[in-house]
Order: sequence, then C-alpha cells, then structure tokens
Amino acid sequence: MTVAGDIRLEGELVLLRPRVDDDLALFARWHGNPDVRHWLHMSEMPTQTLELERQRWQIARNDPTRVSFVIETLDGVPIGNIVLISVDAMHRRAELGIAIGEKGDWGRGYGTDAIRVILRFAFEVLNLRRVELITDIDNERGIRAYEKCGFVREGVLRAKRMRYGEPLDMLMMSVLRED
Amino acid sequence: MISESILTAKKVRLRPLQESDLAHFQRWLADAELRRWLGSVNEQPSVAEEFDWYVSKRQDPDTILWSIEAADGVLVGNVELRLSPLNRRAEVGIGIFDREQWGKGYGTEAMRLVLGYAFGELKLNRVELATDEENVRAIRSYEKCGFVREGLLREHRLIDGRPIDSVAMAVIRSDWEAR
Repeated sequence: MTVAGDIRLEGELVLLRPRVDDDLALFARWHGNPDVRHWLHMSEMPTQTLELERQRWQIARNDPTRVSFVIETLDGVPIGNIVLISVDAMHRRAELGIAIGEKGDWGRGYGTDAIRVILRFAFEVLNLRRVELITDIDNERGIRAYEKCGFVREGVLRAKRMRYGEPLDMLMMSVLRED
Repeated sequence: MISESILTAKKVRLRPLQESDLAHFQRWLADAELRRWLGSVNEQPSVAEEFDWYVSKRQDPDTILWSIEAADGVLVGNVELRLSPLNRRAEVGIGIFDREQWGKGYGTEAMRLVLGYAFGELKLNRVELATDEENVRAIRSYEKCGFVREGLLREHRLIDGRPIDSVAMAVIRSDWEAR
C-alpha cells in the first residue's frame, strides 16, 4: 500500500516516516545484529546481506497489503522500523511488526511510543477495527510493551515457528478499535 | 501447486484438482451460506475469476491443492495446505462445496487424509486454521480430527458488517502421534 511520501506521524518520543529505497543499508546493518535478529522470526533464514535485504524489500515495497515506516527519534535519527502487514480491507484488520534495530536504544520507550502512533494511524486513518500480532512466548520485553499499548493475550500457538531448529510456542495478541 | 498425490480413504478420495472442476466450484459459490462459512469469499466469483484463482494456486509453490471426491467419484469440494516451510507448519483450508453432501463425514475424512500427509510426507510440526466461532459443525469436525482450541480471536472477521470472533485451532505433531 502506498502512503504519501511526505507523511509524518509524530509521537511523544518518535516520528514515523515511510520507508524508502535508500534505507537498505540501515536495515542490512540492523538485521546483521544477532541480538536484533533473535526476536524477528529470522533465525531460519540465511544471514542477511545487502543483496538479500534488497530482494526482500523489492517484494515488500510492491505488496499492496503492507505499510512500512522507519522509526526516528524526534531529532531525526533512524532507530528501527514498524509495519502493518496483511492489511485486510474486507475484515478491516492488519498485523503489526516492529523492531528497534539500534540495540543501544532498547528499553527507552521508543517502541511503545511508535506502536501507539501506528495504532492511531491504523484505527483513525486506515479505519481498521483490529490489529493483531504474534510474538515469541519468551519475549517478555515485547509482550510488556504490547500490553502497555492495549494489546490483549488471545492464546498460545503451540510450535508456531522454528527458532534455531527447535519448535517454539508463540503468543497471539490483539487490540481492537474499542480497546 | 496442484497436488500430484492421490490419497484414498473409505468415503473420500483426494485427487489433483482439474480445470474441469472449476465450473462446479464457481456454480456452488452462488450459495451465500457456503460463502459465509468459507469466510474468505464475499461474492460469487465469475468464471474468469475462478480460473484466476486456479492459476494463482497452481503457480504458488507454497500451496498444495486437492479436489475432494466421494467414493463414487463425484466431486464434492476441495482442500488446500498453505505452507510455511521455514517454520515447518501449514494452514489448512477445506470446503465441502456441494451442500447436498454436507453432514456425511466427507470433510472429516478428507481432513484426516491431509493431516496424515502433512505430518507423514511433509514432516510438518503444526497444521493450523482459524474458523468462525459460529461454525459449530466445522469445529466439531476439526476436533474429531485432533484439532485443539488455542485461542479466541476477537472480532477477527466482518460478516455482513457484523464482527465475528474466530477460533484458532491447531494439531501439532505430538497431538497427531498420540491420537
């Protein structure tokens, strides 16, 4: 889905702007950090290179059901990304994905603020009714942030994904417009 | 892709989907109640749209699609696995399209065949689905096949403008082996 290139969504700590082609090196660096990759459901993929990153982005940028933003601090430093994927106009729902790629910026509330900003966008601009996500069952920091933003636990999906060759349970969460 | 495997049980046979099946599916999809339980089809597709659906499934390497026949060779519906190979799981979608054939156990038997294929041939860890909470007949059939309820997805679908919860269900390898 294309959002206007000049759109800026402002929160208290962060600003969201649409992801552009020139962000590629940034993403390759973030996804090259094993601590960042660990939570991104990427463990079974080949290690990220600029070329692989480019191929992934080619598919993502042309996907009409995806909205991709880069998260910046208020002084304009890019620190991560946030996306809505599987945006479903029929059922008016989407799935959320987020990563703070700069590990030094973990634990500062940037992610929580970015989620609040994109939820406002999802409900008020895209007119969605439900935003859902799945996360690793042991992603305590992530789950805490999601709960702060209003996400509710809906169930445990057993053996939902592989992580380093082992099946892993994942938590299903969602936030509704009226939450 | 269209499965090349033929799977046979007492009451049903799964066989490669043929172009000549499409006219039947397209005609059956005029049934609003069928579409409501399938959850993914808003309106009856045209013949051309049904053909496009077939081509996209045939080309997708992560889809495996069969037609379901009753033992006497009469077409009754179809079933597909949508694979996530890196995570060794699949989502399953099944439909007995001909309502004259509902309640005869064809769906349950076809699902057992697909689960056997998924855990046996494909060595998957997990087969999942989400179904309309009000689809009592389908849920009973899934439970007979070994599906376990994992969560309730609030307002997951909009049906005729009305939000409906979905039940998330899955069979994992250990469920299947302990059956």
